[in-house]
Amino acid sequence: MTPLQLEHQKGTAGSGAEDLIETRIASVLGLKQFMQGPIRALLIKGLAGTGKTTVALEILKAAGKGKGAYVSSRVPKELLETHIPAMKETLHNQEFLDIRLEDASSVLDLVMQLTEPKKFRTIVFDSWDGLAKELDQRERLRAEKTLMALAHNSGAQLVFVSEEPGATTIDYLVDGILELVTVEEQDRTVREFIIHKLRGTKIPQRKYIFTLLDGKFTFFGPYTIPDYSKMSKIAQRPDIGESYSFGSGALDRLFGGMIPGSTLSIEYDENVPYSALRAIEYPPIINFLSRGRSAILLPLPGANDEIINSILARAVGKNVVSERLRILNILRTSDLKTASLPKEATPQEIHEIVANETTELRKKSVDKTVLLVKSVSALENLFASDLDSLLEVTSQEIITLQQSHDAHILFLPKDSPIRSRILSMSSSYAKLFVRDGTVLMFGVKPHTGIYALQHLEDPIAPSLTQLV
Amino acid sequence: MHGGLDKVLGQSGAEAVLMHMKMTDNLPDPAEFHKKLLALFGVQGTLSLERAIVKDLAVRLRWSLTVLKMEESFDFSATMRAIEKGVKA
Repeated sequence: MTPLQLEHQKGTAGSGAEDLIETRIASVLGLKQFMQGPIRALLIKGLAGTGKTTVALEILKAAGKGKGAYVSSRVPKELLETHIPAMKETLHNQEFLDIRLEDASSVLDLVMQLTEPKKFRTIVFDSWDGLAKELDQRERLRAEKTLMALAHNSGAQLVFVSEEPGATTIDYLVDGILELVTVEEQDRTVREFIIHKLRGTKIPQRKYIFTLLDGKFTFFGPYTIPDYSKMSKIAQRPDIGESYSFGSGALDRLFGGMIPGSTLSIEYDENVPYSALRAIEYPPIINFLSRGRSAILLPLPGANDEIINSILARAVGKNVVSERLRILNILRTSDLKTASLPKEATPQEIHEIVANETTELRKKSVDKTVLLVKSVSALENLFASDLDSLLEVTSQEIITLQQSHDAHILFLPKDSPIRSRILSMSSSYAKLFVRDGTVLMFGVKPHTGIYALQHLEDPIAPSLTQLV
Repeated sequence: MHGGLDKVLGQSGAEAVLMHMKMTDNLPDPAEFHKKLLALFGVQGTLSLERAIVKDLAVRLRWSLTVLKMEESFDFSATMRAIEKGVKA
């Protein structure tokens, strides 16, 4: 069907509250604040390859079968289906109008045909500037005003896709402006959308990370702390060949497991929530304990032993925790007393405690292996005036561990003074940081893609979604 | 008609409206034209367009613009018929 052959169809848009245009946008973008705003015309702008078409098609999909129209001035339907296979069904379900060779008045006539019967809820122009660039400034503004008037009368929502990064006449006419950008983050590309304008709506956050994984638009809200009360008993994960599982499918897929004798360092920015770090800290401990092995934990600063014990006990049982897990809170004087340490312990003395505990726990481990999870930050706080000794002891520990079948995970703050030395000795190295409220993670050694860390299914194990 | 529409909708918008209404050649019947404009632009949009059309014609024909006074109810069909009669006379 050519644009001009499009037949008038009967029906009404906006018959109920659920049909409100702003609700449809909200359902796609998942932004609650969109629900409140009277958004009739939306501009999606960004440079080529930033994901504008996919986002526009997602909005179109939300219009419902047969209630959306995609007006293309760039590519024919067949080619678009090849570019974005995940949206093939959406394109089949909606009206597709190829206007590549049409002039402005024909396109406006087409819009009248679409809006007059009040059947189409959402009309996407991809791209609007492809057509508007043929008009002079005044003519363009009048054409855009005509479109707005048609949309307002029919109740249809107009979505304009534009590759013009600067402000144009349409910026002032639309109710909402989303800009899609790609930014370089640690040699990896991250997609971000920016809400520049949303009339009548509060905008609590202007920038969000999103991914086009599997050709679908998925955005990430700010990181939320998991509700540990909702955790269930975790199924143990088998070893991966010669490597130990991290106790999380997502972490195993990212790192391929922990090689016996290896050290994984997790570097984190100061704004990464501890609960996000615990999503990497707890699963390997739980899995080690579930498989009859032992573990030692020197927790992150501020960790509460009772809470850690309670969470781990719920995952593997109280007896297992009391028998094969040792939590050494080195900032707590009672632990130092129990270990018969002098009042001011040295790094070497702490190392000896850990070594002794390891020996004891090794006896209880089904295959004599122990997992050692340590917060370097806690040690740095304790030995701030003697970091050389701390580094020396940590190096010794890593080297000794390489000769054993144990596994070692170190949590390292980004600004740690001994960071580079520890990282150079680590067999694997991953980084965590926060952007737009989302916790992001990637492997430096080995090199991996970049992932958003969330707690979607389980409060303990992380969900990692690749940013593509 | 075209001149008034052009001032509000632009050249392409005016052409599109007339094309859409299949009124590109002859002068349309004002009542029919009013009905079609209403379907496309609603009450307020139609009023603005009709006033623009009448204003454009009045200026071209050097008529008084009192026909557009806001306080008086504006009847497009009646005004157009009056203009048409004036032209014929």
